[in-house]
Amino acid sequence: MNEFVVALGWTGMYGAMALGAIGSIIGCAIAGQAAIGAMLETEGGYGRFIGISVMPSSQVIYGIVVMFTLQRNVTPENGGALFGIGIMAGLALLYSAVLQGKTCASAINAAKAKPEIFGLSLAPAAIVEGFAVFAFVFALVIAGGIPGGQ
Amino acid sequence: MMGEQYLTLIASLPPHMPKLFKTRQTPISRLKLDERLQMLEPEHRQELALIENLVHWNRMAIDTSDLEMIKRGRAVEQQLQNAFIKEIVQWRLEERTIVAALRRRRLGINVPPPVTHWGYGRWLRYIEAHWMEPAFALEYIFPWIPEAAQLLQDNNYLALERLLLSLVWDHYGRVVGDHYFDFEAVVVYVLRWDVIDRWSRYNKQRAEQRFNDMLDSALGGYASLFA
Repeated sequence: MNEFVVALGWTGMYGAMALGAIGSIIGCAIAGQAAIGAMLETEGGYGRFIGISVMPSSQVIYGIVVMFTLQRNVTPENGGALFGIGIMAGLALLYSAVLQGKTCASAINAAKAKPEIFGLSLAPAAIVEGFAVFAFVFALVIAGGIPGGQ
Repeated sequence: MMGEQYLTLIASLPPHMPKLFKTRQTPISRLKLDERLQMLEPEHRQELALIENLVHWNRMAIDTSDLEMIKRGRAVEQQLQNAFIKEIVQWRLEERTIVAALRRRRLGINVPPPVTHWGYGRWLRYIEAHWMEPAFALEYIFPWIPEAAQLLQDNNYLALERLLLSLVWDHYGRVVGDHYFDFEAVVVYVLRWDVIDRWSRYNKQRAEQRFNDMLDSALGGYASLFA
């Protein structure tokens, strides 16, 4: 049983980063495809389409920070906590990255047609980012209470 | 949740204007549109061609008979797998059936006998049963019928054409709903493109020419007897 809890602890520790990375991969791919399409249609301003399309990459960075915060000797006492925080933070980062990719794709499609709404069209993506930051920050806060840290 | 199979394709297409009659030309040429549609999966390309061939008048021979049209409609319906697209095609063919009924009645044709192939869809028998009602008792479901009947009565064909095109345009805009980057969105984009194309090509000379062609085709050899 102890070994199983230790394995869960390692899964949670790496899971935050892995799930964040999966989300960023999917989100950036979704927004990136829209950016490529928009570049086919427009005559300039390609940089800003690419700029929007990389927005979902922040989630993997949050995941890495959570992983390093959780990093410690995994024991049966702290394995469950590491698993819970790591996996839940990772899932929040994954979903936020995928859905942020979709909002970025819509923003790119809209801004291509109406350049004057470029800034405003990013608001939904920014709000999604805000929720990812909540998940990230509170994972760090709560990780402070896990035994075995430096 | 929306699909995003055709993110690149949709993002590469210029948007349609919100109002049909403010548009003077299509937002993208057919050549360029076809080039972009190469991004579709082969089976989707085939499905789109089937739909366009059925609902786009310009892709039909002038002398296509009603029976031929109905047969074609049913064959396409059988081949379509996607319920959303099936619904769009059915709606369009049913709308045409109502217009055909209005025209037939205007020409003084009585209730078509049940064996006649003159229309398509759910409302066929209902229309036959209410043939003498001004709007076939369908005005609560299709509020545009009284206006269309009146325009037909007044021989105001241009206004009728505008009404029907705006009807189709608005319907496509309404049903596309939350389809942004999927095949359904591509189909609606192309069908709306067809509507703009039809409207932008519309001019008096062409309409007269087409009418004369249709007349010649309908009269066949008899026209020459009176020449």
